[in-house]
Amino acid sequence: MKISKQARRDGKQLFRNCVANGLLDENRVRQTVQQVINQKPRGYVATLTHFQRLVRLDVARRTARIESAVDLPDDLRTGIQTNLARRYGPGLAVSFARNADLIAGLRVQVGSDVYDGSVRARLVELAENF
Amino acid sequence: MSNLLREIQAQIAGVKTSVAKHNVGLVREIGDGVAKIEGLTDAMLNEMLDFGNGVTGLALNLEETEVGAIILGEYTSVKEGQEVRTTGRLLQVPVGKGLLGRAVNALGQPVDGKGPVKSDTTYPVEKIAPGIIKRRSVSQPVQTGIMAIDAMIPIGRGQRELIIGDRSTGKTTISIDTIISNARLNKAAESGGDKDYRPLYSIYVAVGQKQSNVARVISVLEEAGAMPYTIVVVASASDSATNQYLAPFAGCAMGEWFMDNGMDALIIYDDLSKHAVAYRQVSLVLKRPSGREAYPGDVFYLHSRLLERSARLSEKYGNGSLTALPIIETQLGDVSAYIPTNVISITDGQIYLETDLFYQGVRPAISVGLSVSRVGSAAQTKAMKQVAGRIKLDLAQFRELAAFAQFGSDLDAATQAKIERGKRIVEVFKQPQYNPISVETQAAILWAAQNGYFDDVAVEKIKDCQSKLSEYLTTRKSDLTTKLAKEKALSDALTAELKAAVTEFKQTYK
Repeated sequence: MKISKQARRDGKQLFRNCVANGLLDENRVRQTVQQVINQKPRGYVATLTHFQRLVRLDVARRTARIESAVDLPDDLRTGIQTNLARRYGPGLAVSFARNADLIAGLRVQVGSDVYDGSVRARLVELAENF
Repeated sequence: MSNLLREIQAQIAGVKTSVAKHNVGLVREIGDGVAKIEGLTDAMLNEMLDFGNGVTGLALNLEETEVGAIILGEYTSVKEGQEVRTTGRLLQVPVGKGLLGRAVNALGQPVDGKGPVKSDTTYPVEKIAPGIIKRRSVSQPVQTGIMAIDAMIPIGRGQRELIIGDRSTGKTTISIDTIISNARLNKAAESGGDKDYRPLYSIYVAVGQKQSNVARVISVLEEAGAMPYTIVVVASASDSATNQYLAPFAGCAMGEWFMDNGMDALIIYDDLSKHAVAYRQVSLVLKRPSGREAYPGDVFYLHSRLLERSARLSEKYGNGSLTALPIIETQLGDVSAYIPTNVISITDGQIYLETDLFYQGVRPAISVGLSVSRVGSAAQTKAMKQVAGRIKLDLAQFRELAAFAQFGSDLDAATQAKIERGKRIVEVFKQPQYNPISVETQAAILWAAQNGYFDDVAVEKIKDCQSKLSEYLTTRKSDLTTKLAKEKALSDALTAELKAAVTEFKQTYK
């Protein structure tokens, strides 16, 4: 749907109001959505659509996905989470997944940053270099 | 075989084995050669982006939640949801003498079917112009071979001279004549072993033109033997707006290589009106705010940063130069439109071509009154300065008096003489296309005109007389023209020789 400038501005304002101490507050997000639906201001669907997009992008920025070829032991998982929290701050949503295509090693994606130490990535890099 | 194995081992060892860090995003929207990408938080302005499958793009819009990128090359293979990576590099094009004689596109890839381009160096397409300290004032001429320009609107190496006029008034012809003239001078200096002559290499950037036009230009340059000194950068009308937007910058990068390496280059942007239109299209698709005539607000900056890169560098920085001849097409002679006034205010003068003059048979159709070179006689040889000093004044007086004479009133002898002299000067300045005249021949002809040797020749026979005089000087008095070419000034002795030669010619001319 086409989202007008006013809807973008309103959505952005709602999003800013849901941020506390630099982190998105989930409870505030839920309350905000409910209130907007109840009150139904002009163009509220477009506003909520844009608000949803901003929340989605923020969640993606604060999400870390760790892929490995095999299941990781608990101590390694804890170590990775600690390192990520140190680098990116608190509030990171960490998920682990298995991806046999990596062959070996880890691929960590936090938002737009990808740290790829997998064997597959090295083979691809070798192929590009040669 | 063992050497080969050692080489491969060394290469494998040299490849980085540490964890690679990338910055990625996902394509949210793709259309009209522009992609909107979510993510890419570390993307920088004008950074190259990798879309995979050999497709790259340029990040132009850095917004809060997304990056707007223009796609270089085939954009139909890009899909929504596709991963995009930053590369950490700016867009670069191959540069160097290996590009001479070649036709390339806006990315420096060959389009002439003559195989890959030989180049070891690349230059960034976007670069900051040389600063004030690096520059030097313009004092060396660019011999266009067109008498009207070399005499009255002289262009110097490092200058920006705009060629402006309506469609089909001879703008491209002037630029091609300049290329051909300089190619001939380059060749003559090479064959004559003249070590003091600085060759001038040319770059012709075709933006938004028909491919048939570009093919014709290349064919003319090849026939005239100018292609070995020329690079042709093509972004035709069938190319994307992105390529048309980038082509002048790519050509400028190629010219800057010559300038930075102590050589002289000439770049022709044909034309910047179409360049502005392509940039408008790119900006509108990127949803940038539009201003006057729907052009983006920074359309002035688009051309100013391009043209500021043309300069003459000081001795300390190599003494190289890049001369620019931008071309602008006006509509119905309107030089007060948006883009023309922008570019006029940036350049160091303009050559204004009028449709009326063109159809009256005055070709090149240069309006002497509206044309100017802000560098002026600093870019002329002494010989030309000596003979061409009064020409502009004579022509201005002729124009005033010609309008007055139309009323049919009786005029005194002095006024009649001025009118007759003016008519002959106008005839002398007419010149067929692709026939540049050497500066020594120009000086001789203008000296003859200024000293009344054409006054007794009928106006309709002036061109015939002029061409026969040129032939006479070139064939029978080649010593004189050689001396004139070497000394570049009309000394008393040379003037006496020239007088004798022209007098002798006049006695035999009927």
